[in-house]
Amino acid sequence: MDSAQILSRFADVASQPLAYAKAWKDRTGGAVIGSFPMNFPGELAHAAGALPLIIQESEEAITVGHGLLFPFYCGFTRSTVDQAAKGDFAVLDAIMFGDHCVQLLGAADAVRVAIPETRVIFFQLISSMCDPWTLGRARETFLALKDELEEFLERPIEDEALRASIRVFNANRTLIRRLYEMRTAGTAALTAAEMQHIVKSSMVMDKAEHTALLEQLLAVIEANPPAAPRGVRLHLSGHFCQAPKPEILSMIEDCGAVVVGDDLFHGFRYISTDVNETGDPLDGLAEWYLARNTGVPCPTRVQNDVDWDAFLIDAMRKESADGMIVLMAKFCEPHMYYYPEVKEAFERHGMPHLLIETEHESMALEGLKTRVETFLEIVKRRQDAGALAPQASRGRTLT
Amino acid sequence: MNAEAKKPSVANKLAATRMAGRLVNEYWEMVWRAKEEGKLVCWYEGSAINPFLEAADIVWVHGEAYSAMLAARHQEGPAQQAAEDRGYMKELCSYARTHLGCAVSNQRNRNDADTGLTGIPSDDDIASKLPPPDMIISAYAYCSTGQQWDEMTSRLFGKKIPIFNVSIPWIWASKKDAGYIRGQEWEETSAYVARQLHDMVKFIEERTGKPYPWDRLRELMTNVKRASELRLEAMDMCTATPAPASFFDWVVSIAPINQLPCTTDIVDYFTAVRDEVAERVKNGVGAVPREKYRLFFDGIMNWNKVGWLAEKFARYDAAVVAGRYTHMAFWQEPGLIDASDPVMGMGQNYLICPNNHSSPILIDLIMDLCGKYEVDGMVIHASRTCRAFTNPQFLIADAASKRLGIQTTMFEGDVVDESFYKDELVNSRVEAMLEAIDARRMSAA
Ligand code: SF4
Ligand code: SF4
Repeated sequence: MDSAQILSRFADVASQPLAYAKAWKDRTGGAVIGSFPMNFPGELAHAAGALPLIIQESEEAITVGHGLLFPFYCGFTRSTVDQAAKGDFAVLDAIMFGDHCVQLLGAADAVRVAIPETRVIFFQLISSMCDPWTLGRARETFLALKDELEEFLERPIEDEALRASIRVFNANRTLIRRLYEMRTAGTAALTAAEMQHIVKSSMVMDKAEHTALLEQLLAVIEANPPAAPRGVRLHLSGHFCQAPKPEILSMIEDCGAVVVGDDLFHGFRYISTDVNETGDPLDGLAEWYLARNTGVPCPTRVQNDVDWDAFLIDAMRKESADGMIVLMAKFCEPHMYYYPEVKEAFERHGMPHLLIETEHESMALEGLKTRVETFLEIVKRRQDAGALAPQASRGRTLT
Repeated sequence: MNAEAKKPSVANKLAATRMAGRLVNEYWEMVWRAKEEGKLVCWYEGSAINPFLEAADIVWVHGEAYSAMLAARHQEGPAQQAAEDRGYMKELCSYARTHLGCAVSNQRNRNDADTGLTGIPSDDDIASKLPPPDMIISAYAYCSTGQQWDEMTSRLFGKKIPIFNVSIPWIWASKKDAGYIRGQEWEETSAYVARQLHDMVKFIEERTGKPYPWDRLRELMTNVKRASELRLEAMDMCTATPAPASFFDWVVSIAPINQLPCTTDIVDYFTAVRDEVAERVKNGVGAVPREKYRLFFDGIMNWNKVGWLAEKFARYDAAVVAGRYTHMAFWQEPGLIDASDPVMGMGQNYLICPNNHSSPILIDLIMDLCGKYEVDGMVIHASRTCRAFTNPQFLIADAASKRLGIQTTMFEGDVVDESFYKDELVNSRVEAMLEAIDARRMSAA
């Protein structure tokens, strides 16, 4: 397959995750275990021979879901409940989760009522990340989830199988991280939407199948390195449980930006951290849970000794990014809480950023486009003025 | 000002609740004097950990209570503006936004003082009078927003203030033995929370530099337990027709059970409330002069609207007899508290916040309350920025109509942000529900 065909396969799976799961199930007869984002380790389900699939926001308009969740909830939760109520999750044998964003809990409760025949397994992951007992509690949580999964699937999850799954997942993450490095270096001309398709399909596809396609893709790109794309170098930040709409990403690039890095969940956040392949695998998963928040801090956790804003500034420097666009899913409370910290830090460091609130429902791209163009103009003017050194007075926030 | 507010009051409030006003004022005066008196101040939200602090002579400030107090006095505006100026968006929990706004003002005043500008809040500026914390304890059941609010407060103060997190997991209740305060999940979660509370006490000891006064905590919890028993006894008497007290009386009585000093004053308060309720039952006196309808109120309170809503329902001859907010929270299970060894029972009461049980248990409890108080309908306040309360509301409405066959109606409002509230909508929705109740009664007759 050439790179266009591989990318098109990733895009197909990313846009039809449940159809992929159905086909996989028909082919293998295996169980499909859905999970809510963002911290359930798919390795557990994989080691039990099941297909772990991170439930995705659907592109469909919300209809029946309106009767279960209020319109002032994030698109992910509303869409999830809507899909459940429409019967779209029939392919899922069970759903597992450990996260506790208040909107997610509301959605989980509604999903359990909407599809009573589907087992919904929950054990709350500790979200306070630097307590003396955080690591132990995270391990207890993964053990409880594993136990219930074993009982549900009526088969044990052996340590060796779990270690093997960890290796499979690590290999997949490593390859995607390689693509990230190449994108930053300008040696992989992947658009933001293509990158999203790669990561999003990895949340859905059988990992070995995904990895095989990634290997091919890397080989093709490395054999014919493309010319480095030109434009204003941008970092994309935010958007947790749900993928930003590809058309927004394309619009940003069409305005003259090149996305060189991100910390989106449907992006670098998902593949940032590997799990220790040796030793007790549950210890490894618990350590991974802590390490990934130190590596790429998430506002859904509380961790006083790491700063998301500092991470972003550092990431932008490493990526030589000139500006940042914050994509905020409307009504996402964790993001709204943290945003003022980011805004102030960027203003202090003289680094420009633009905030875009996204919605599940279709958005007026024209208006957004004007804002993005204006923002990119400002970034360019700063560059022209040689204003590359951080100066507090030059910080610009556009909203 | 609207015409309704000028008319003489119809709602027959419990006279005993007037005492709450005095106690609450005295409490806030104590908070505002804290720094002058050299006391340590702890900010916390959610669970009523105040007895732990009071025992250690630490002044406690409950974030929600501060925001609610500002809203009840219609002084929430400047704090909300200060929060908005810093970038906190309107869709964030308005309790948190208002309280964070106080923190922003506080920091601003402090910086102004450093630069020799002003720095001293005026006596009328209640938002700025909130003393800054010496420590923060986060122990929020169910709602992730509570924990994040505390974290952001700590960041607002430059992460210089020690913070302690107690994780209180949601009771998902999917196992066969699961139920209200029973089952393996309940037992394990209780033990997990109690363990953390013991660690919290160590954190408190580090702050005060003194051994923790356990005897004092036992004494305070003896009062809390008694006050809670009296409160529940009085609530139980409201099954009478006409209901001697209303949801709004219980709203006014939240501060005494949840936040005021746990002295014998709170026992006296609830004794007076219980006695007045008993007297009313004996004399057939109702909280609403002509009780025609009995309603259940689901949702958190609109703090800027308490008196106003009480009046509105009274004018409709509707007695709001019970609610999720008032009747399923605030030391709701005194039987779990062993005053001689209170930590486990305290933790368990934190676990029974009105949202911390997932819908199967929660809905059963609500349906039981509706049955017990023989309600004709349910008013659902969909609080725009408190999603912890709105989460199960469609499921609750569905259960109320399917299981109990009662009318329900919803209106959108908010905890302390008045701008989300639409008076006309409340009127038309409540009126439509009452008409439907009338129609049903006529057809049954
Ligand atoms: S973290 Fe944000 S996007 Fe995820 S469920 Fe919560 S509100 Fe929605
Ligand atoms: S959203 Fe509701 S439950 Fe959550 S912190 Fe705010 S007031 Fe409390």
